[in-house]
Amino acid sequence: MLEKEKLNKYAENLEFKINEKEYETLQNEFDILLKQVEIISKIEGIKDYEPLDFPFPLENSYLREDKTNMKISREDALKNASETKNNCISVPKVVE
Amino acid sequence: MYKAVIGLEVHCELNTKTKMFSGSINEYSKDPNTNISEIDLAFPGILPLPNKEAVKKALKLAIALNCETPDKVLFDRKNYYYADLPKGYQITQMTLPFGKKGYLEIDIEGQTRKFGIHQLHLEEDTANMEHLERESLLDYNRAGVPLVEIVTDPCFNTESEVITFLENLRNIIKYCDISEASSEKGQLRVDVNISMMKTTDTVLGTRAEIKGINSFNTVKEIITYEIQRQQEILEKGEKVLQETRRWVDDKKITVSMREKVDAIDYKYYVEPNIPPVAITEEYKKTIKEEIPELPIERERKYIKLGVLPKDAKTLVKTKEVSDYYEEVLELGGEPKETSNWLTTRILGYVNTKNIKFSEIYMTPKMLANMLTMLKNNSISTQQAKEICTICLEEQKTPEEIVKEKGMEQISDHESIKKLVDEVLNENEEQVKQYKNGKTNIIGYLVGQVLKASGGKANPGIVSKILNEEINKR
Amino acid sequence: MNITEIREKLDKKEISIEELYEKTKEHAKKSQEKLNAFVTITEKCEHIESNSPLNGIPYSLKDNISTKGILTTGSSNILKNYVPIYDSTVYKKLKESGAVLIGKTVLDELAMGGSGVTGHTGIVKNPWDQSRIAGGSSAGSAVSVSEGIVPFSIGSDTGDSVRKPASYCGVVGFKPTYGRISRFGLFPFASSLDHIGIFAKNVQDVALVTDIVKGFDEHDMTTLPDEEIKYIDEIKKEMKGKTLFYIKEIIESASTEESKEVIKIFKEQITKLKDNGIKIEEVSFNKQLLESLYPTYFIISCAEATSNNSNLTGFIFGNREKGNTPKEVMINTRTNGFSEMIKRRFIIGSYILERENQEKLFLNAKRVRRIVVEKLNELFKKYDGLILPAGSIAPKINTNEEADRLGEDYLILENHLVMGNFGGYPSITMPMGYVKNMPVGINLTCAAKEDALCLNIASQIEKIIGIKDNKKGDEKDV
Repeated sequence: MLEKEKLNKYAENLEFKINEKEYETLQNEFDILLKQVEIISKIEGIKDYEPLDFPFPLENSYLREDKTNMKISREDALKNASETKNNCISVPKVVE
Repeated sequence: MYKAVIGLEVHCELNTKTKMFSGSINEYSKDPNTNISEIDLAFPGILPLPNKEAVKKALKLAIALNCETPDKVLFDRKNYYYADLPKGYQITQMTLPFGKKGYLEIDIEGQTRKFGIHQLHLEEDTANMEHLERESLLDYNRAGVPLVEIVTDPCFNTESEVITFLENLRNIIKYCDISEASSEKGQLRVDVNISMMKTTDTVLGTRAEIKGINSFNTVKEIITYEIQRQQEILEKGEKVLQETRRWVDDKKITVSMREKVDAIDYKYYVEPNIPPVAITEEYKKTIKEEIPELPIERERKYIKLGVLPKDAKTLVKTKEVSDYYEEVLELGGEPKETSNWLTTRILGYVNTKNIKFSEIYMTPKMLANMLTMLKNNSISTQQAKEICTICLEEQKTPEEIVKEKGMEQISDHESIKKLVDEVLNENEEQVKQYKNGKTNIIGYLVGQVLKASGGKANPGIVSKILNEEINKR
Repeated sequence: MNITEIREKLDKKEISIEELYEKTKEHAKKSQEKLNAFVTITEKCEHIESNSPLNGIPYSLKDNISTKGILTTGSSNILKNYVPIYDSTVYKKLKESGAVLIGKTVLDELAMGGSGVTGHTGIVKNPWDQSRIAGGSSAGSAVSVSEGIVPFSIGSDTGDSVRKPASYCGVVGFKPTYGRISRFGLFPFASSLDHIGIFAKNVQDVALVTDIVKGFDEHDMTTLPDEEIKYIDEIKKEMKGKTLFYIKEIIESASTEESKEVIKIFKEQITKLKDNGIKIEEVSFNKQLLESLYPTYFIISCAEATSNNSNLTGFIFGNREKGNTPKEVMINTRTNGFSEMIKRRFIIGSYILERENQEKLFLNAKRVRRIVVEKLNELFKKYDGLILPAGSIAPKINTNEEADRLGEDYLILENHLVMGNFGGYPSITMPMGYVKNMPVGINLTCAAKEDALCLNIASQIEKIIGIKDNKKGDEKDV
């Protein structure tokens, strides 16, 4: 079972807090998940397979040509930001 | 006794037209948030579009640094949260970096040193932050600029090794034309890892890290300071902390920023939106062919051609100068002679006037022409020096100067003999003295001939003919 | 009405595009109280004249697809004020084809769910029985077509988010091959599994819309090269003697009374299809693998989702909360912006991606994904397609229990559609009958890139089964 403290650490690293009542649910979910993971690990010959990152090999692979073809206006860029200053997005001062 | 063990991480912004994963302009701009697109700001739903040219440039550097290169382009995500990181992850390379296990070779005082490159990978830069009193302002012009990160082995022991390495690395970067590599524009940033260990030990000591250093001079100051600081701690029997430190420039000291408790887990995994693209052997070959002769190769070549080792280093220090030199050689310049003129007269002028080498008026062709005139004895060394100065300062070609100043040297036998005869006839007394054994009087007579020629006669030829003629009398 | 019927009315000038828009908008508005399918209903008829068959046709778009100048929330509080500054490729293509956007539809928050009850604007209800869920995550899209508000809708499908709600709501839902439709502008859930999908009343309409929105896109590296074919023509071609297979273990896994009913209908339809010349065989599949499907999907999708949603910090966009440091801003924004279920998914995803856990969780899940895909690819060499029930009937809305909680049961019958995402296969769900007066769907999945084949066989099946333009009891055409 994952301790509350550890779960809290995860939440902290993800930059949010979770509701006190959630720990139990989360612990249950982890229990279920980890049980299922055990079953997966026991699939015959699983280690012989390469992990699949993409649904299928994409044969049309190419890279983007180095040509400028994108731009948004500053007005658009700042439109959704709740705080701006001097044509920049403003956040509380970053102190390392 | 302690010795320092130093490793570097060098970040270099590439000089592509567009950003790493978007088609917006990759250009430094003081006007904030002008060179941006929805991709750079990570609006929901955007997808990364890797820049072909950036990939090529990174591979070029990897090959130039003798790295092992992968057979496909693959990117990974590095997950962390920070105000300057729009996506909440950085697209970088972890699984298959473009370079591994490379090295940079430098000849130091006749010895070849190999500095190990642990890894070289391609990634994207973050937004720029300006810190005001109470807030920080985010400018995304820099967000997404292609960056190459070069991680060295912990293979340096002194600050001078580090600086030599950095200068050579910058040189290679410029030779390969992958970056302007200007420290002032923040295009080259260095992280230094430094620890001390007993010379008898085999285990590395605890290291301190100083990040984002813009100038090589500061790198030097930091290392000097850190070596002393850490040594003092160890000598007191205390322990060096594993921490990130910051350089305070006006006090010339480093101060602790944060202690590293445990390494951050960046949760790397393969970027799912960029299908792997094959890098064929053929493509690698093409890139390799595009790599110009590198500084160390040229340096060695110049020394073989008879150039002084010190001058050879000066010549290859920037590609511009080296290319200039090569061009003069191609136009017939004698290697050592050309090197002398270039390193002393021309570079001397550039340094005193504090101008850019690219701004000088004298082209390789002009220098070559001047050197030819000198070789043919149609001008004297003294005249050549004068030509050089006038050419650089007044923007005139050597030919123009020679014509204007009437500098063409008289070196044909007939004309000089005529002058010699005249002088000998007018100086019977001196000829007599010569015959009586006062042979050093010949110098006076040479001077008289030169004077009579208006300084145009070739002194060597004058001296030769004078000796012949005087003995006939 | 389906697209063809509306097209005819427009072409005969029985109704103008504006009139149609107004009527549709009214219909959408009126349905809100009852079904809650929309986050946003557009205010005016934005229409670009074109020669496309979709010219003037109203449609709806899932609210996780970027539309410049139109609120797009992902049905999450964290984006409740977000107005995109750029168009997704799919929206751009529809706009240029003259289709008229009626509204943005409700989804499960950030598409991470299968019920349609977790969106920030409330529960989406099933038009066939409002006490039941519509299914998700493309709940509002399925409902807007099922209710007859629009003839087609665009959704997204990461596990079964188009094909499941299509089944629950009695409409056709199609997810083409991965890369056939650009994902540029789709808010990502799990990038390696995400697909854009289409809801419509029948296979022909689905083919028609796919023809418009498919294609290579320089904004999405994973898009496939263009094919020089039109699916609308492909489905009309006579293709006989096709062979399908179904998986024995999935059929046998039915445990509830309702799902047994579904299997009964499925078997009846199989017989009917066989009688009409389609060969269908039973194939046995490793049960352990089948039981691993959902955990595998869960692991891969949670991991990718955690990273994909890291841009939701409130700095550049989104509902920023106050704080004294950037970190505090982020924490407050994300704490209030995400529901608890989403946060739990992110925590699980974060655990999966941890260096020490990746091998056993993330990489093993990706290995299972490969095993499954390789097995299916092998079967697709022998068979033209896989045919299965899409699932059981839509469950009742249960306000006492949180939806989309990770459960212990291996509901293979309910979760097998993720195979379509694992291999990026074209996969289509269409109605096959009714249980307790609720529609149930049949699903056909084919080999990757065989979209034309998939739609052609689907069209044959639709004809044989005989349920086309499914109408629920009280649907009235405009």
